[in-house]
Amino acid sequence: PLDPASSLPLPQSFVLKCSEQVRKIQAEGSVLQEKLCATYQLCHPEELALLGHSLGIPQAPLSSCSSQALQLTGCLNQLQSGLFLYQGLLQALAGISPELSPTVDTLQLDVANFATTVWQQMEDLEVAPAVQPTQGTMPAFTSAFQRRAGGVLVASHLHRFLELVYRVLRHLAEP
Amino acid sequence: EECGHISLSAPIVRLGDPVTASCIISQDCSLLDPEPQILWKLGAELQPGGRQQRLPDGTQKSTITLPHLNHSQAFLSCCLHWGSSLQVLDQAELRAGHPPATPSNLACFMNLTTNSLTCQWEPGPHTHLPTNFTLKSFRSRGNCQTQEDSIPDCVPEDGQSYCSIPRKHLLLYQNMVVQVQAENALGTSVSPQLCLDPMDVVKLEPPTLWATAPRQPGCLWPHWRPWKPSLFIHQKCQLRLRPQHEKTNWTQVATLPSSVLQHQLCGLPPDTAYALQMRCIRSPLPGHWSRWSPSLELRTAEQAPLVR
Repeated sequence: PLDPASSLPLPQSFVLKCSEQVRKIQAEGSVLQEKLCATYQLCHPEELALLGHSLGIPQAPLSSCSSQALQLTGCLNQLQSGLFLYQGLLQALAGISPELSPTVDTLQLDVANFATTVWQQMEDLEVAPAVQPTQGTMPAFTSAFQRRAGGVLVASHLHRFLELVYRVLRHLAEP
Repeated sequence: EECGHISLSAPIVRLGDPVTASCIISQDCSLLDPEPQILWKLGAELQPGGRQQRLPDGTQKSTITLPHLNHSQAFLSCCLHWGSSLQVLDQAELRAGHPPATPSNLACFMNLTTNSLTCQWEPGPHTHLPTNFTLKSFRSRGNCQTQEDSIPDCVPEDGQSYCSIPRKHLLLYQNMVVQVQAENALGTSVSPQLCLDPMDVVKLEPPTLWATAPRQPGCLWPHWRPWKPSLFIHQKCQLRLRPQHEKTNWTQVATLPSSVLQHQLCGLPPDTAYALQMRCIRSPLPGHWSRWSPSLELRTAEQAPLVR
């Protein structure tokens, strides 16, 4: 059933905090992409699509968050699961390079914190699943190049994922 | 075997409190004199009032009570006359001080450059004793009524009254409880708890101001750019100005969202020099004002000469 946005009393502060967290993560993701481009000339994710496919880098669905048919509980669930997935993917990039590791670590912490923000709000609204999601199998990056390419792809997917999220948040922020 | 041995009621007492010491002289040491008189010195001064007794095993024992120890640190010596000199047989260090006062004025701010939460406090009066401060914190929810994961203690460097919790221990956008504990040999005290979300105490740096040439007389055309590490934070900013080189009060001329990066000010006298400053605060989410920016000095355009 359609779950109109207004059926769940989302606090304004939650929407504002989530929006700020999206901007914060996107800013850090852009720093990672810029560094990967400047240092390794890996500037275009589309050039790495085949590799991404072979490595099995998943993308997080946000089908319940489409503006035409927003199902808020489902959307929050997909948002939280997606963030949890990207947290795992960023962890899988461990050892990417000494220069990039601090950026990846901060990005991973911020994504994890955002996932907690969403999860705790779902708990407060009593719409949280009984069990926290568990991390599926992560791609195995077996070379320095694969970790860098994986970094480009994960940052790009995360950016697109957050663009959709930001659109939903702006929709929810409308009075 | 020791010649003499001092034992204390307590090695550390409160300043002004009494301390009792006893000194036992072994038989080997009282060689010449079967009933040697045991003497006490506090620092360099002889202390009267030692009560001496012979123990069943033949050793001599003297006990003394110093009614008020007013030194934060002193040496108590157990001595004997031997020939013409006074021999020191044992020495004990006495320490006196105060239990730690409750640390006060605990305040924290989130540093977006180092990505750490720095908390500072007032340690309270000097205790005269080695006193350890520890910043204790734990994650919480809501208004901090519950305790969730604890965070590793943050131990400041010696003598410092601040400590920084690194990013990896912080859960941003959630409340946490922070508290300072002070501990020395005489006791422990704990500051009141502080309940905060690290992002609500971000320390913003002021924006950068610059200007382009004003287009009309009596106008100024300031531009600004928010502090780069805070670009992801929606802010509102205050602009103020006053005539340059005059110590008159500032006039606040505008409050603007940080996304508006310029503002035209008109209605000012032509060909006049002004100083402008700006500060910003996170908004609508909670935050603290940044400092005012350094002054930007600008001059309004001259009035065009009237051609008759």
